[in-house]
Amino acid sequence: MSTYVIALILGIAFGFSLNKAGLTKYHKIVNVFRLTDMAVLKFMMTTLVVSMSGLYLLRALGLVTFPAPPATYAVGNLIGGLIFGFGMALSGFCPGTCAAGSGEGKLDYLIPGLLGFFVGAAIYGLTYQQVFPIISNIANAGNVVIPDALDLSPLLTVLFFAVMSFFLFYLIDRAGLQRKKEI
Amino acid sequence: MKSIIKYIRREEWSPYIAGTLLGVVGILAVWLSNSLLGASGAFENLVGLAGQAIAPSLFDNMYFNYVMPPGITWGVILLVGLFFGGMLGAATSGTLKWGKKGSANSDEQWKTIFGQQTWKRWVLAFVGAIILEYAAGIAGGCTSGLAISGGMLLAPSAFLFIAGMFASGILTAYLIYRKRY
Repeated sequence: MSTYVIALILGIAFGFSLNKAGLTKYHKIVNVFRLTDMAVLKFMMTTLVVSMSGLYLLRALGLVTFPAPPATYAVGNLIGGLIFGFGMALSGFCPGTCAAGSGEGKLDYLIPGLLGFFVGAAIYGLTYQQVFPIISNIANAGNVVIPDALDLSPLLTVLFFAVMSFFLFYLIDRAGLQRKKEI
Repeated sequence: MKSIIKYIRREEWSPYIAGTLLGVVGILAVWLSNSLLGASGAFENLVGLAGQAIAPSLFDNMYFNYVMPPGITWGVILLVGLFFGGMLGAATSGTLKWGKKGSANSDEQWKTIFGQQTWKRWVLAFVGAIILEYAAGIAGGCTSGLAISGGMLLAPSAFLFIAGMFASGILTAYLIYRKRY
């Protein structure tokens, strides 16, 4: 029971942060692909830097063990990402932001959006056997994480990622990509 | 204190502050529940539940029996939370759209590009959602379940997914916007 309470509270905080970052708006998502407003990218990278720093630190202190990370099967991850980006630029949402946007009372998220996710989920589940085993067999490395697989120092890898992210933020601001271009 | 409340009530936060909040949520999910954030998987759990009730023989396959068993999972509760979290966020800034004008076609930039018709937005939102959910299935997760959750554990899969997502997202946006890109 308590684990459900945790899920509900974390879900609310999750949706709240998506709303405040502006991710529940079509133009915020699409403009990151148009390279005119990089807030979504900054939001994602900040989330990654904060969470990976915290988690690798907690792991180093022996306070957490990681759940199985999403499996790496290079071709499937990449092809899935390519199709996903197409859908995202078309609709201006993704599964999580569509759920949060629905709560805001946006009917284009609530009705065709959520309905589409259920239809897509059914189609995927019913064709899984014909599609997934083939794709996931190519270049399958399993549930690996980069520092363990390459035998790198985990904390240095996180530090490297953080420094690269800050450098990226600097470049974005310097290039003036934050500016919102008139349509 | 007053300035904090004023900040909370803003419609849009700095992406660094909102991102830090989600980063902490990601840490707590692993620490407290040994779970990863996600959204696309919850739709599978729910559709399996509905499917096995409506068409049991059709949904009696390997996927719905073993890979993504139907049920009210941790992820489904998280999805419910996402819904109310979006509601809470909009409520604090007074931007809730329930019953308001423009709630059926919610974005001005969209209207500039595609026109005022609501049906166009609904068709593309519906088709887009199907594509997104199917793609998330192939990739092994969506923006939250793979890009964020995999990325924070430094899984290679997450970065391959993000690279693919941005490559085709940029190309698609370019093809849609053309001269306005």
